[in-house]
Amino acid sequence: MIEVDGLTLIYGRGGAAVPAVAGLSMKVDSYELVSVVGPSGCGKTTLLFALDGLLAPTAGRIRVHGEEVGSVRRDVALILQDAGLLPWKTVRANAELSLRIQGRKSSAGKVLADLGLAGFEKRFPSELSEGMKRRVGIARALALQPRVMLMDEPTANLDSITREHIQNLILGLWWEMGFTGVLVTHDMEEAVFLGKRILVLSARPARVVEVIDNPGMGEPGYRGTSEFVAQVAHLRQVLGGNGS
Amino acid sequence: MSRTLRLSMHYLLAIALVLLVWAATSWLLEATRGREILPTPWVTFAAAAANFGTLASAFGSSALRFLIALAVAFLLGLPLGLAVGFESKLDRYLSPLIYLLYPMPPVALLLFLYLAFGLGEVVRLVVVVMALFFQVVVAAQGAAKYVVPSHVTAVRSAGATRGQIYRHVVLPATLPSVLTAARVSVGLGITMLYIAETKLGLLLGPRAGLGRFIEYYTFRGDISLAGVVGLALLGLLFYAVLELLERFFCRWKFVGARGGA
Repeated sequence: MIEVDGLTLIYGRGGAAVPAVAGLSMKVDSYELVSVVGPSGCGKTTLLFALDGLLAPTAGRIRVHGEEVGSVRRDVALILQDAGLLPWKTVRANAELSLRIQGRKSSAGKVLADLGLAGFEKRFPSELSEGMKRRVGIARALALQPRVMLMDEPTANLDSITREHIQNLILGLWWEMGFTGVLVTHDMEEAVFLGKRILVLSARPARVVEVIDNPGMGEPGYRGTSEFVAQVAHLRQVLGGNGS
Repeated sequence: MSRTLRLSMHYLLAIALVLLVWAATSWLLEATRGREILPTPWVTFAAAAANFGTLASAFGSSALRFLIALAVAFLLGLPLGLAVGFESKLDRYLSPLIYLLYPMPPVALLLFLYLAFGLGEVVRLVVVVMALFFQVVVAAQGAAKYVVPSHVTAVRSAGATRGQIYRHVVLPATLPSVLTAARVSVGLGITMLYIAETKLGLLLGPRAGLGRFIEYYTFRGDISLAGVVGLALLGLLFYAVLELLERFFCRWKFVGARGGA
């Protein structure tokens, strides 16, 4: 479970201070997958970094599984925009990067094979397609066997077919592994496809302006239903009304 | 044709071209001035063969001296350059100092270096280290400044320590630029080596280094020129070694869509 209470994040000091998040509160239940959407530059990624313990709150508190987040936690994994792969490391070394940093001996071989990357372990990122790079980024997070998965626009800049593949993959992994997830996106269809609830943020400084329940999420063939289309239209309307 | 074979062919062609230009220049100078000014390649190679033992010793001494200087310049310059480039506070305080000292030629300080270190081996090394050190520092600093933030976030989000950030991100990200800069600096380094061995090695014999060899045989143009060829080969050797190091340590630069030929 993730609980955020009155979170405020301010970059810089004095006259140069920029408030990114102002008094934001939210809650994500255990095993729940929540989408976060909002206008460009509203502070979505900042919020995600704070949840990961990369940024210390200026005010307010963040708790994961009842414990206050003071630094990076071993049971929380972050998937970065564009996967954040290191070009000088092979696929296997990239997938095992977080494990090694945490001093864990385990291998990412099975996760890579499960994600269809068997045989590519010795390749470098520059030898992979964009979709494969994203899968390596997901493998790196999964290798940690996290209880909480934070995803920062995991399908940004992908072609529509690859984007759907990655979205289906994330949904399948959520069903299979049952992690608690927060997905930041500016793709409205993705937010509806992957969010059991959709949190709509205001323009900067970010705060939650609306929470949309999305009970149909995860049902087989949800993407093709009229309910899905209606939810996307509703979300578009809400975001339009919030100046995005 | 394999890459190695093609590269060897290119080098052989380049050497043939140099020999041709060299021979043509010798003939031209002799024809216009009426006496031998520049010994021809074969006269020079004959002199090199006749003095092979001394020349090989001189080459070995210079190569070892340059290798030590390069290693020291890397060991001192790389950590400093990376830290100054990556840590914005250090950048603010130390960059002006580096830019102030960087253009200062060590050769202008020879008198003070001699007074400080005497005429021993140390002073010759210091001169070459000083020339290479700032090249490494400036290259490492420049590259570390532009490390991709998402690469740092990738390791920080796993809980990386400062040391792990340097090991997994900053060092590998900057190594190609640093090795390229080191390769470019070989020419400057060899020049400084020559100056250090001639100006700060007056009491030594011709086996003490190629600079000393060239100086010692000043009045035997053919032997002296053999030493110059030795210096050129020394530069080529280090250039090739640094390129091999780059291909070994930065293998990722040479594969995939962004890879080389």
